[in-house]
Amino acid sequence: MLNITRRRGERVVLGDDVFISVLEVSGQTVRLGIDAPRSVRVYREEIWLEVKRENEAAAHATGSALPADLPAPLKGADSEATRSNVVKPQQ
Amino acid sequence: MALAIESTRFGHVEIDPDTVIEFPDGLIGLGGSRFALLTSDPDSPFLWLHCIDDPSLSLPVTDPHRFFSNYQVELNDEDAERLGLDDATPVDVYVTIVASAELSEFTANQKAPILIWGGQGHQIINQAADTHLRAPLFAEVMGAGADADGNAS
Repeated sequence: MLNITRRRGERVVLGDDVFISVLEVSGQTVRLGIDAPRSVRVYREEIWLEVKRENEAAAHATGSALPADLPAPLKGADSEATRSNVVKPQQ
Repeated sequence: MALAIESTRFGHVEIDPDTVIEFPDGLIGLGGSRFALLTSDPDSPFLWLHCIDDPSLSLPVTDPHRFFSNYQVELNDEDAERLGLDDATPVDVYVTIVASAELSEFTANQKAPILIWGGQGHQIINQAADTHLRAPLFAEVMGAGADADGNAS
C-alpha cells in the first residue's frame, strides 16, 4: 500500500480527475474533501462492506424456489412496471 | 430474438431482450452490468434479479412497499445528481432478500435499495431514517396474529 503524508489543506490526486483534500485534522479524526467526476461513487468503507455482504448473502440463497406459502403481502402496493421473465423453477 | 443464458439456479433460461436492465455500476461490491428480472411464479412477491453475463449470479428481490408500509427512499444530493433523478421520475424500487429456512429469519436490505427506471438499474444507499440492513421481512405482514410457527392467522 502506498503511504503518503499530507498536511491540512494539501491534496492527493488519483488519476487525472479525483482530488482528495485534507480539510481538517482533529485528534483521531481526519475530515476529507473528495472532488471527483459524477460517475465516481464514493462510500464510507463500512457502509460499502455491509451492503456488499448483504448482496453476497442474498445471492447465496440455495435453490431456485422461494417458499410459496407466505403471509399475504400488504395490499395497495405499487404496480410493477418493470417486466419480468417467467421461468420454471429447477428441481 | 431471445437471449439464452445457462443459469446455475434455473438452468436454460430465455430472456426477452426488452426486459434487460443495464446496471452501469453493477451491484455494490458484486458487479454485473446487465440483469433481468425472473419469476417462477407470477403471483409470488419475489423476483430473481439475474445477471445475464454471469450465469451464477442471481439475487431474490421484492417490492419493499408490499412488506413495509412506511418504506421510503431518499437519495443524497450526489446520487440524485449522478442519476439524474428527481421526485417526478417514476421508479421501481426493489430490495434484496436474504432467504432462510424459517420465514421469521427472512430479511430485506432497506439500506441499499435497487432503483429501476427506463431500462437502467442502480443500487443506492438510502438516506431515509429508520432503515435497516437486515429488516425482518415478514414482521409487519405477520403482525400480532402470527402463531409460534410463523404462520399468519
